[in-house]
Amino acid sequence: MDFSFSSDQQLLKNSAHSFLDEHCKPALVRSLIDDPRGESEAMWKEMAQLGWLGLSLPEAHGGSALGMVETAILLEELGRAAYPGPYLPTVLAATALVQAGTTAQQNRWLPAIAAGNARATVGFLDAGLDWDVAAATETRAERSGTGWTLSGTKSFVPWAHVADVVLVPARSPEGLSLFLVTPSARGLSVRPMAMMDVTSRAATLVLDRVPVDAEAIVGAPGTAAPLLAALVRRGAVGASAEMLGAARRCLDMAVSYAKVREQFGQPIGSFQAIRHKCADMLVEVENSHSATYYAAWALDAQAEDHDVAASVAKAYVSDAARKVCTEAIQAHGGIGFTWEYDLHLYFKHAKALEAMYGDVDYHREMILRRVSA
Amino acid sequence: MDLNYSPEDVAFRADTRRWLEANVPRQDLNTLGERKEWHRKLYDAGYVGMLWPKEYGGRGATPMQQAIVQDEMARIGAPPTINGLGIGFIGPTIIVHGTDWQKERYLKKMLTAEEIWCQLYSEPNAGSDLASLKTRAEAQGDHFVVNGQKIWTSSGPIADWGLLLARTDPGVPKHKGISCVLLNMRQPGVDVRPLKQITGHSLFSEVFMTNARAEKRDLIGRLQQGWEIAQTTLGYERGANSLGRVTRYAISFHQLVRATKTLKRGGKPLIEDPAIRAKMGKLYAELEVQRYASLRIMSALTMGEAPGAASSITKLSYTEFEKRFYDTALEILGPWGQLMSATEEFEEIDTSSGEPGTWATAFLWSRAGTIYSGSSEIQKNIIGERVLGLPKETRADRMKA
Repeated sequence: MDFSFSSDQQLLKNSAHSFLDEHCKPALVRSLIDDPRGESEAMWKEMAQLGWLGLSLPEAHGGSALGMVETAILLEELGRAAYPGPYLPTVLAATALVQAGTTAQQNRWLPAIAAGNARATVGFLDAGLDWDVAAATETRAERSGTGWTLSGTKSFVPWAHVADVVLVPARSPEGLSLFLVTPSARGLSVRPMAMMDVTSRAATLVLDRVPVDAEAIVGAPGTAAPLLAALVRRGAVGASAEMLGAARRCLDMAVSYAKVREQFGQPIGSFQAIRHKCADMLVEVENSHSATYYAAWALDAQAEDHDVAASVAKAYVSDAARKVCTEAIQAHGGIGFTWEYDLHLYFKHAKALEAMYGDVDYHREMILRRVSA
Repeated sequence: MDLNYSPEDVAFRADTRRWLEANVPRQDLNTLGERKEWHRKLYDAGYVGMLWPKEYGGRGATPMQQAIVQDEMARIGAPPTINGLGIGFIGPTIIVHGTDWQKERYLKKMLTAEEIWCQLYSEPNAGSDLASLKTRAEAQGDHFVVNGQKIWTSSGPIADWGLLLARTDPGVPKHKGISCVLLNMRQPGVDVRPLKQITGHSLFSEVFMTNARAEKRDLIGRLQQGWEIAQTTLGYERGANSLGRVTRYAISFHQLVRATKTLKRGGKPLIEDPAIRAKMGKLYAELEVQRYASLRIMSALTMGEAPGAASSITKLSYTEFEKRFYDTALEILGPWGQLMSATEEFEEIDTSSGEPGTWATAFLWSRAGTIYSGSSEIQKNIIGERVLGLPKETRADRMKA
């Protein structure tokens, strides 16, 4: 029983921490708020050089073949920095290709992703915003010659406006299928959406009889449901890690502030009203750590309870991160409500992820289905 | 990270399970004698005082092995051992701070439960502010004369010995004038009066000491070292019950699921009601997080890390969870959850099974967890000061005699 990070994992954590402290300062995050792309090309390239983009990809494709634990370690640090960019969506899309893609698809995309030359994302949601992808997908795939024609709408697709390839679930006559779509495809329009979180982007994809060739399908027609369910779970664990990082950052800021901010002639951290709040926040952060890394490990080990663990992590950490980030603002008082102070970056980042890859209610239901059978 | 149990632990668990299946009593244990007999059987099999060094009659086992035994006992619903405070806290204190004579005299009989121990700490006016205690122990020749009142004493009526915190120097700041001494409970100057709790049971007592006698050879550590010793005692061995505790929650949760398949709302089983499902899903998520957290504790203990002030995080987290768990369960179960069967007296803390008629007692009992062993508010102070490094509050009493 070893719940601690190995020395390699700790090294990864430390180096990510110091890299992001230096290269992903709040000033950079803020400078990208009004940028049309919303992410830094230079930083994406550096992340590739650090091996982060190929972290979980096979060595044959330029990756390091590491697992979800390592990915979660990185995501926690990215969340702590409110890193704006398509890291998690790219990892998810790449995972789908590793698990179900053809050799040609893998050769085309995986080395490019590992090298920082391609970004990818997954359009899980149709207009109804239901994370039960197998049940809810209305986007259609019809046979057309040797290929397919895709029609429908994908909503809230993370970072679709910078993606070089989008994985699109669609219902074909055989059942749920998954397709690779490139932004230049005829009939595809990408419409960025204005969102609350200034550190992430999403777009609506409208597919108006988009033609794709026979090689664009990932896996056999009608077999995508379990793959997509697993991908949602992986996304849930990844989002948990990012929310954990955001929450830890907010806790650290609240504690630092409580040590120096004086009222009534004393640091406010000496008052139990503030101290107890911080203690409660720490409990939530530590429990979130346990939940996130248990789920990441369970996924890597394919433990019997890995699907429940993913839902437990997402359900728990979403609540915890919301509570911690909110309480950090409260502990700061007025300054925490200003645009100039950085707390809202992390608060909004966590809030955006709370709604992704299944929200709290979705995952509670998933848990209960498993344990009440 | 590797959250698999080691092959040794898997084998140990299998052995333990086999032993328990063969030996667990078939009927309820109703008398102290029967409970002592069961305790002795567990002791002889090596399942008591597992973390104690071998030289004092322990097994010298790993924290994980000890937690596995607790876990397996919870799983099979075995009656708990007795003398928990003695074996978990008082014995280890004697091992660390006691004299050779004290070790020889007290430890073996503590392990075997031939002598039952209690802790004489809290007083009516010294709860969270334990150091303000007023019970006096005045030196007189070879002994101390003890006068005062203690409260919230577990196992009071059955205790043979107590670990007493008493004031031996009233002329110095309060933390500096306290000593720790062993008190024979079987003497005329000691009057134990059971205290009836909101559960209707009497797990705790008040203890009145009137010119009671404690021997100087039973002083633990030095004179006026009592507060320091008490501080280490409070922090000792918090991981041992963690796996077993979570297993009991899980057993209760599955009983809750069963009940919601029978109870109805709008003509359909409760479990089909989305509002109920959401509550139960939340509960199970929190329960699982408690399990992961306990694995994390066991991992740290296995690596030889001392939990220190971080054990306050654990205590705060699980006791607050336990309250939410039973609050939610009783919301879901309605009047059925308030049934109170004529159960045996709770002998130990942390016992619940989710059987019909046990929810109400568990619900009431869960109020205790956030109060005993340092209330949630005290735990938050400890976390704030010692884990997060927040400034200490100004305390008017630190320097006062």
